[in-house]
Amino acid sequence: MSGVEIPVPQEPADALAAVAALRRLADQIEDAAVEQAMRAGWSWPQVAEALGVTRQAVHKKHAKRLIAAGVTLRRR
Amino acid sequence: MAAIDEYINTIIERGRRDAHHDGSSTIEAHHLLLAIAAEGENATHQALTSAGLDHRAIRDALDREFEHSLNAAGVSLAASGLPRPSKAAKPPTQLGASAKLALERGFASVDRKKDLRPAHLLLGILQAQVGTVPRALALADVDRAELMARLLRTLTPESD
Repeated sequence: MSGVEIPVPQEPADALAAVAALRRLADQIEDAAVEQAMRAGWSWPQVAEALGVTRQAVHKKHAKRLIAAGVTLRRR
Repeated sequence: MAAIDEYINTIIERGRRDAHHDGSSTIEAHHLLLAIAAEGENATHQALTSAGLDHRAIRDALDREFEHSLNAAGVSLAASGLPRPSKAAKPPTQLGASAKLALERGFASVDRKKDLRPAHLLLGILQAQVGTVPRALALADVDRAELMARLLRTLTPESD
């Protein structure tokens, strides 16, 4: 699939399942993208601003995982 | 501790590992289903096997459901191109809404807790008519009603 066309699922079950799957995919992409940014030397405030969330929120969600993965984190 | 409590603990503990593998922050009903398939308790194992379901087959079905649901919104899984993220430092400990509902339904199927069997827990998961589990099973051509009927038959002799 090209991923270009955005059909709206007609059946409620399909539409709701699509929402659940998109949220899961968004979480997966967020995990990967934040990790990639932090490995590239981005700061928490930069990542937070790019995601449109607070620094505290992004730190709370990702810091433990990235520390466990051995990513060197910038303080600012 | 009663055998069923040990079983429930084992399933949740195993479900945590499947949830961790998925990068999920909660343990969901489909993780409990994977756990039951991996655990190999006799009645549940026979019923799942008769429907062609083992841990691998369920995981494949769940992967297909994920892709299928994304495709319905015009999104392809291959599109992101980012490297796989590192896993969470620890497996999740919280049960998600679907897992809580599955356990509640399993518990509600017996009058007294001492009558609870592993098959009841699997029935609790299979009772969901909407959500990830029934969609994944349908995509794998599994007759959910037949699977539930088979499980119920395994419970009948003991409850008499």
